[in-house]
Amino acid sequence: MGEMTLDVSTAAVRVDGLSRRYGATRALDEVDVTLERGITGLLGPNGAGKTTLLSILATANEPDAGRVLVFGLDPRDAAGRVEIRRRLGYLPQELGYHRHFTVAAFLDYVAILKEITDRRQRAEEVARVLAATGLEGRARTRIRALSGGMRQRLGIAQALLGQPDLLILDEPTAGLDPEQRLRFRELLSGLPGDPVIAMSTHQADDIAAICPKVIVLLQGRVRFAGTPAELAGTAAGRVWAAGERDDRAHLSWRGGDNRWRHIGDHPPAAAELVAPTVEDGYLLLSHAAGQ
Amino acid sequence: MTSSHPSPAGPAAGADGHAGEDLLAGYAAGTVDGVATWSVEAHLAGCGRCRSALSAQVDAERLARNRSVLLVRTALPGGGRARRLLCRCGLPDHLLRLLAATPSLRGSWLLSVIGVLAVVAGEAAAVRYGWVPAGGPGRLAGYRAPEVLAPFFLVAPLLVLAGVAAANLPMFDPTYRLAVAAPFSGFTLLLVRAVAALGAALVLVVGAAFLLPGPGWLPVALLLPSLALCAFALAAATVTDPRVAAATAGVLWAAPVLALLAAAHGPLPIVQRNAQFACVAVLCASAVVLLMRRDRFEMGWAR
Repeated sequence: MGEMTLDVSTAAVRVDGLSRRYGATRALDEVDVTLERGITGLLGPNGAGKTTLLSILATANEPDAGRVLVFGLDPRDAAGRVEIRRRLGYLPQELGYHRHFTVAAFLDYVAILKEITDRRQRAEEVARVLAATGLEGRARTRIRALSGGMRQRLGIAQALLGQPDLLILDEPTAGLDPEQRLRFRELLSGLPGDPVIAMSTHQADDIAAICPKVIVLLQGRVRFAGTPAELAGTAAGRVWAAGERDDRAHLSWRGGDNRWRHIGDHPPAAAELVAPTVEDGYLLLSHAAGQ
Repeated sequence: MTSSHPSPAGPAAGADGHAGEDLLAGYAAGTVDGVATWSVEAHLAGCGRCRSALSAQVDAERLARNRSVLLVRTALPGGGRARRLLCRCGLPDHLLRLLAATPSLRGSWLLSVIGVLAVVAGEAAAVRYGWVPAGGPGRLAGYRAPEVLAPFFLVAPLLVLAGVAAANLPMFDPTYRLAVAAPFSGFTLLLVRAVAALGAALVLVVGAAFLLPGPGWLPVALLLPSLALCAFALAAATVTDPRVAAATAGVLWAAPVLALLAAAHGPLPIVQRNAQFACVAVLCASAVVLLMRRDRFEMGWAR
């Protein structure tokens, strides 16, 4: 087999016209996406197609139509698929575990699946990701004895094995407490080699905190792609704070300051315009899409 | 004051009989040759001053990294005698470690297989050892009716098949989604797990068959049918759902055994000469299909 040509240019992942159906349900509908080096956040409600898109990028799922190029490699080609997998770290949404494994044995197992066959090299990699995720003291603990948050950290740890160029994380912050989420942000921000990271989440504040780019996926289609500031900007002039609730608002809730936050096109009485957030922009997009 | 312990050798040794700073730095970095290393270590064993000087030379980060690696290595399961023996036979350690995730190699599974085999071989074994009174219409090379072999003949190959299926079906592998997106060859993973599960189950089946009454070849009579069934199931999994493939293979074995029993022939024809030839043919054909369509096991996008 000849040497694969690897394109490590800025547009590391290119998706054109990607579609995927499950029976009558259209999970992805002609999705066009470009991922660059750095973190791209994927926002969307359940069933929007985030997991399907990420699993296709991770070569774990097959589209019905469209084209994917990862570092210039086509996953439809067997050799290209293996090369992509060699550069990939993947955290699926519902990662299962062999519960009788210890933490170290599980990571050792995944390292073998990632073709790290040398024992010493495997041990070094396992030690590295354990340290990175704060699980050093748990190497001997059986997975069944771990809390949900620790299992999620273990899932992140296995994704980091082999220092991947492409990191695909499907809801990595689910189950993490606030402190762990902050540590996770710190971890992602400090990864060496500036990998391409695609991360789905329901947490708009995760997106605002660490993602230079955000993609909003609704009903299988890309409704927004840009910076978090641009997403927040789509709600500019449409977010108010008021003392009373106004039924004309698309969405309204009472905040911690006991004032009502309204999102919509009609200003409530005696309301003041407030600076929109990423969440406001996302909620308005969702509302417009009928979600 | 000079040290009373052996002086480290070489030009980098200190004039006062202690290890010089350069020598200790080289030792800490692992760059000194074997003789100097031995010399330094012999000296360090009895010289507290040089041990203190050495600790200042050690790269703390490297030390911490080595400590972490050591902790990880000690946290990994040893694998017991079976793995050490297989390693000595030349099997790569990493392939054996992959088997730790194979459900049909776990103690609970193997104990279940032993239990089922004990039940289905029980009656026939009781006849062999004279625990039940002799008699009955048919005789088998001096033993009582071959019908007593029927439960074992029916179940034993199905147990082997179940072991191979459980080793490879995604529903039994909670990390299947990781394996799908990993570069490790799905076909190699399948073969490693299948061969290990097959080997373990066959050892138990052959061992249990020694308890049965009948001709001397009986313990090995089920080897070919079991291999053929598993090979057929794996080959069929390249064209259909693996669960359907395994179930089809099971039916293809159970149907003729039950038909023979219904016709009051006893189960022996299913393992006699013609049947063994048929099993060889199925085995060869399945192996060819498996090799030709092995790309289907490079999971994920190809499925």
